Amino acid sequence: MIFQALLITFAFFALAKTYRQYAHRKVSLYWSMVWGMLWMILIVVACIPETTDILAQYVGVEKGADLFVYSSIVILFYAIYRVIVRQEKIQRELTELVRQIAIHEAKKK
Amino acid sequence: MKIIAVIPAFNEENRIEAALLALAPHVTEMVVVDDGSNDRTVEMARKTPAHVLRHFVNRGQGAALQTGMDYAVHVLGADIVVHFDADGQMNPEEIQEMIAPILSGESDIVLGSRFLGSTVRMPFMRRVILKLGTWLTTVLSGIAVTDTHNGFRALSRKATEEIHISLDRMAHASEIIDLIMAKKLRYIEVPVTIRYTEESLRKGQGTLGAVTILKDFFKGRFFDGL
Repeated sequence: MIFQALLITFAFFALAKTYRQYAHRKVSLYWSMVWGMLWMILIVVACIPETTDILAQYVGVEKGADLFVYSSIVILFYAIYRVIVRQEKIQRELTELVRQIAIHEAKKK
Repeated sequence: MKIIAVIPAFNEENRIEAALLALAPHVTEMVVVDDGSNDRTVEMARKTPAHVLRHFVNRGQGAALQTGMDYAVHVLGADIVVHFDADGQMNPEEIQEMIAPILSGESDIVLGSRFLGSTVRMPFMRRVILKLGTWLTTVLSGIAVTDTHNGFRALSRKATEEIHISLDRMAHASEIIDLIMAKKLRYIEVPVTIRYTEESLRKGQGTLGAVTILKDFFKGRFFDGL
């Protein structure tokens, strides 16, 4: 019960924050909608946890909580892959930058 | 005919000056690329007639070579670029033999080989690892060279235009071999002497370094096209 209450309070807080950021034009309408939806789903799930089981059974997983853990792992793996690719790209760009500066400095002399 | 030596250097304050002075009579100009050394390498190199370029952050030998080649070809107008080491392991008198096949129009790129030539005091483990690396390159690139990780090379202007090193660290040696195949460059191996001294061994690639090179090489293939 306490966990549910905490979750709902947090979600409302986040929802308000998202709205405020949108109002101050810090995030686009698109992203404020995405985040807003996410927090609202969280509120629904916190109030009626059984809803996740329906979805879980629909995709062939027994419990909602399990579905959550499984999908989290998949998403995390993908996120790490993206980070590695990005990091590699930044490394190459850094090399290019260092190289160009070296040549530029030498030309000045 | 402008023959320009490109010398990547990282923390070579004790050896670079002597190496450059010995090299100078054998080439038209010298381009030193200091790869973010934290000693007096730049200062020592500036005592010689070499052009000294500086990577302000260490980016690895592959990156330093590419910087040097860009400068040698596009700024100084090199006809032939020679890759040379800053630590005095190579014999500058052999440059003549290295560039001969390019001058005669026989090859686009000449690779030095210590297994065709002679080595002075090469440790046993070093020999085993180099042989393994060379064998692996043969398997992966389908090109039979005897000494992949030899830093002594001569490139014609055409070869410098075709070869762009994208692997920053030590795996660039295998990358160059890959590019020779991909761009269908004419290559030849020439025996060279590599002199191992205690100091050069201490600083050089350890046995574990081979693992890093391998990792970088596969990473290079994986991230190709980024």
